[in-house]
Amino acid sequence: MTAIDKKERRRLLSGKQYVGAAIAALAAVLLVAAIVGYAIRETGTVSGSLKNMRSDAVVHIASEGIVDKIARDAKAARLKELRANGYNGRKFREIGLSEVEALTGEAEAQARAEAEALYSSPVVSDPAALERAVAALEERLAAYGQLRASERQAFSGLYVSLVDGTASWTDLTDAAGEDDEALFKALCAVEPRLAQESNAHLKPAFIKLARDMAETERARRARELETQLIQQVTGGVSDWAELASLKDNELWDALCREVPALQDNPTAKDAVMAQAKANIQTAQAGGEVTVQDSAATEGNTPVSETQANYKYFAPSEQLARLESDKDEAHTALWEQLTGIIPSLSGIQSKDKSGILENVDQLLWPGELSFSSRFQSYSGQVGAKDAGFATRLAGNAENLLLLGIALALLAVILIWWETLTRRFGVPRVIILLFFLYLILAAQYYNISIPLMMGNVLERMVMYGILALAMMPGIQCGIGLNMGMTIGCIAGLMGVVLSLQFDMTGPAGLTFACISGAMIALPLGWAYSILLNRMKGNEMTISTYVGFSFVSLMCIAWMMLPFTNPKIIWLLSGQGLRVTHSLLGSYGHLLDKFLSFEVGGMTIPTGGLLFLGLCCLMMWLFSRTKVGIAMTAAGSNPRFAEASGINVNRMRSLGTILSTVFAAIGIVIYSQSFGYAQLYTAPRQLGFIAASAILIGGASVRKARVAHVLLGVFLFEGVLVFGQQIANSAVAGGGLSEVMRIMISNGIILYALTQTGGGRRE
Amino acid sequence: MSSEYILEMEHITKMYGPNAVLKDVSLRIRPGEIHALLGENGAGKSTLMNVLFGMPVIHSTGGFEGTVSLNGEKAEILSPMDAMAKGIGMVHQEFMLIPGFSITDNIKLNREITRPWPISKLFGSNLEFLDQKSMASDARNALDAVGMSIDEYALVAGLPVGHMQFIEIAREIDKTGMRVLVFDEPTAVLTESEAAQLLSVMRQIAAKGIAIIFITHRLDEVMAAADTITILRDGKLVDTLKTADTNVGELAGMMIGRGDESVIQVERRGTPVQGGTAMTIRNLWVDMPGETDKGVSIDVREGEILGIGGLAGQGKIGIPNGIMGLYEALGEVTLFGQPLPLNDARGALQRGLAFVSEDRRGVGLLLDESIEDNIAFSAMQAHGQFMKGPLKDSGKIRRYAQDMIKELDIRCTSAAQPVGTLSGGNQQKVCVARALALNPKFLFIAEPTRGIDIGAKQLVLETLVRLNREQGMTIVMVSSELQELRSICDRIAIVAEGKVADILPPEASDTAFGLAMSGYRAQGGDGQ
Repeated sequence: MTAIDKKERRRLLSGKQYVGAAIAALAAVLLVAAIVGYAIRETGTVSGSLKNMRSDAVVHIASEGIVDKIARDAKAARLKELRANGYNGRKFREIGLSEVEALTGEAEAQARAEAEALYSSPVVSDPAALERAVAALEERLAAYGQLRASERQAFSGLYVSLVDGTASWTDLTDAAGEDDEALFKALCAVEPRLAQESNAHLKPAFIKLARDMAETERARRARELETQLIQQVTGGVSDWAELASLKDNELWDALCREVPALQDNPTAKDAVMAQAKANIQTAQAGGEVTVQDSAATEGNTPVSETQANYKYFAPSEQLARLESDKDEAHTALWEQLTGIIPSLSGIQSKDKSGILENVDQLLWPGELSFSSRFQSYSGQVGAKDAGFATRLAGNAENLLLLGIALALLAVILIWWETLTRRFGVPRVIILLFFLYLILAAQYYNISIPLMMGNVLERMVMYGILALAMMPGIQCGIGLNMGMTIGCIAGLMGVVLSLQFDMTGPAGLTFACISGAMIALPLGWAYSILLNRMKGNEMTISTYVGFSFVSLMCIAWMMLPFTNPKIIWLLSGQGLRVTHSLLGSYGHLLDKFLSFEVGGMTIPTGGLLFLGLCCLMMWLFSRTKVGIAMTAAGSNPRFAEASGINVNRMRSLGTILSTVFAAIGIVIYSQSFGYAQLYTAPRQLGFIAASAILIGGASVRKARVAHVLLGVFLFEGVLVFGQQIANSAVAGGGLSEVMRIMISNGIILYALTQTGGGRRE
Repeated sequence: MSSEYILEMEHITKMYGPNAVLKDVSLRIRPGEIHALLGENGAGKSTLMNVLFGMPVIHSTGGFEGTVSLNGEKAEILSPMDAMAKGIGMVHQEFMLIPGFSITDNIKLNREITRPWPISKLFGSNLEFLDQKSMASDARNALDAVGMSIDEYALVAGLPVGHMQFIEIAREIDKTGMRVLVFDEPTAVLTESEAAQLLSVMRQIAAKGIAIIFITHRLDEVMAAADTITILRDGKLVDTLKTADTNVGELAGMMIGRGDESVIQVERRGTPVQGGTAMTIRNLWVDMPGETDKGVSIDVREGEILGIGGLAGQGKIGIPNGIMGLYEALGEVTLFGQPLPLNDARGALQRGLAFVSEDRRGVGLLLDESIEDNIAFSAMQAHGQFMKGPLKDSGKIRRYAQDMIKELDIRCTSAAQPVGTLSGGNQQKVCVARALALNPKFLFIAEPTRGIDIGAKQLVLETLVRLNREQGMTIVMVSSELQELRSICDRIAIVAEGKVADILPPEASDTAFGLAMSGYRAQGGDGQ
């Protein structure tokens, strides 16, 4: 590098730092403003001003309510008038909807203008009394709202664990018969917390839930059965036109001869007959009768998190009492409001409750902080009259967030060279992005501990899969996109454990071990292929990964599994797409020793297992063989010169990667609660690869720390990004787009680094 | 013709950074003359030719000083294309032929004879038809001129290398206006009869008035073909003389001679080494690309430092690489009386051999790993040292590495620094430390001072001498630097064309070394 280059560089560097310093100064100003804003919140002026805003807002809601009512009435009256003047339905259609709108809207607008002139600035004669009534209502709303929220949360927990923990509702209700007590005991066996005294008020609701669920399940089975019977009948008859001459009874008999199972299921008779007649018509018309493929619809229902259905929620006695307190406060406030706006006393109860609901929404939106109050009050009456101090106090949170965001940017800019040298450009950017996401989550009032809990859970899910990339990178085959081979071996282990009805820890252990056993020979064969394709491993492994998934799509249909829980119901062969592990060992590791800290659920068992796997990998990389493997990967000729069989080391790394992938998918499935076969594992390699690359690994060098950091950052960005994208932009597609952009972008970056990674 | 000389390069000086690779070199060539350019590797021959061809590497590193004149007129050669346009051509050492094309296509590549037709008149000359017939007849003439009877329509793929060389020459002489033609080591891949044919073709070309620059290190060919000889050494012009006025011995001396520029001063042994035989090598063939050995036989005495020298590409590097199992080898090797299995790297290490490779960054080091891990690696893998149970013993490795860092004066921030960030000399010291960690009885070290600064050079060489004198370690040092070999070795074997050409004492004359390197065998020097 010449002297000019250096000078140029120094100039740019100082320029960047200059901008950084300017941003830092701005951030400091904002932070100071925020601190001042926080500090003055408790002062009399500001809190008094806020209380005034609150009263004004309540009155504003009331006046707005009555203005709305008057405008509505005027519109209705105009419509009535029109009708009286001979505008019937036909006439309306003739002149068109917009014309009618215009006619009535005119009256509505006029009435609104008049009403607003009358009510928009009502005179409050006794502000103190109004203030007292509002404060009392707020207090009671808060008490009621908090208890209701916690009860609903408790209900949701019970609901989810009950629904997830019940394998078959029909079995449960059939065993209990009509006896509600027996049924409730059975439910308590599934979820012991139900039996607690504090949950007694929920008992009838859950009994009803169980019966409803059983009903739904029965209906679904009947539907499935019907579909399959129709398929079999359609496929079983070779020449439909032949059957055209038969009467209904004869046709049914003929069909029963073709498909004996029909006789046992007379309930499906109507549907089958209808389809049979349709088929006959098609055949007569010369069309081809084909079996409609319902396989895709039957087992491929998207798996989603169980959500509580609040239809079954019942309040406790205490909650009911608080509710009546709340109603009292409502009455008191209403008195005050009618005192201010006398016309209120004349409105209908429907309008009254509408107004009160709006007031409730204003006073207790679920939580109360200074800034959220300020926001919602100024939403009603505007912030112009509030005064600078109150506005500063009200926006302190936003100022603080903006200040921190700018400060972070300034830090990154000022120490850009140092940071990028130590962590690399992508890590710095992702880290900054992650921190900004956390700030944004704070801004959108998303619970950060809850999100962190999600991040940890997903770390458990993807951690071992990402770890599986590590031996591949170390032994020199690069990013092992063919780890789907291991994933399929692991899924085979899961399916085997389900075949033998294994549950609990034994089932999980069996799935892990048998998956790993199947992965061993597959990994070995795969490694032989890779050893013949040196230099092209990434391409080969991606193709092998994809094509093996496709190959297994056929195999899953052919394998001789027999347990009716996992195969297609009537065809009697072929595995279903999605297998629920909730009745066997779903979430087993996650729940083991799991606890909550400040709203963050720690999946202790899963983290411990991930830690154990990482520890094993770390220890392995310190053994003689592990060191030899790493050397063979980073410089094959060096390794050869030291007498190491490079091919054997590459095989070892590939097998290890495959085995870890097998164990990884078992853990993934238990965390997810479902095992998905067929094309589901196809993308896992990409996720694992981008995770480890984000963590700082390259395609030639990886450490355990890269795995842990990478999975945390990758999943963190996704979990937070998803929530924030959902809050910021309507429609849920954005987060998926973002996931694909982030993961593929990172892979691309890493690949561009392979050529430039050499030290010169 | 306005000048006696067709090409004059006057006072050419070329710096790469602070290093001068050419210092005030002048070259004058008459038309129709065969002018040999002689010199060891690194003497500056290639750089001089790069200047002549206006290669980008010259311009991008700051250009050169001095003038180039063609036909007495000052010429600025900006690029290889420019050089070609000015009538300067080159027959490359590595063939630049497209295998899937016919001989004619290759000869006429980018100079095709074309016929216009309406479309090409509309859309430009790129769409003109090839005139295969006249192209073939031109190719035929060119092939006849180099004495090849091969069909001009044959594909290049699969032809013997000798043929390819002649096709290259045919391509050059087919060019019209050719004034100067450079032959870069043209006989390196040819058989003896082919080489003889090539020399006669060169004479025919020269007879047409084309000047030829003939780069080679084969002195006999120079004597047979060249009219004038220019000798370069260390980037300086040694002399330009007529072939008739000199002889092989004088040329060899001029190529090698370095006076007393000894790298280090080592006290000579009073008495020659009289130990037993440490290693016998019989009829060793090594298949190392570019450094093939074709039947090397030599004995190494216990306790001596044996130097192996020779020009690049002659096979000296292949000897240690073959014995250490890095490249496919064939032959009989015994170590301290025991037969040594070939093609078994681990076996060689376990029997007490160690090797410091010439390819430091490629074979010698794990660039991303720390100094300490590099030093410990081979000993750990070959002998199971530095282990605590099944895991590596970081403490022990650290202590050993720190000792080595002190002993060899490795300049680093700590033992944990990645070796990729060290300077070349310090990397070499890490390589030596790694070999020493094996506690070898017998050390191969190849090109120990390549690309490292003078201080590190001295330290490495002194370390070798100390190991030899104090621990009695038998050392075989392979080096292109004859001066370095002469300063520390007890005997020096010179390898030429994959065989041991001669074994000389360090005090032997420059002429003797020069002759051996050129493949001449001194009387009685049969490799023993």
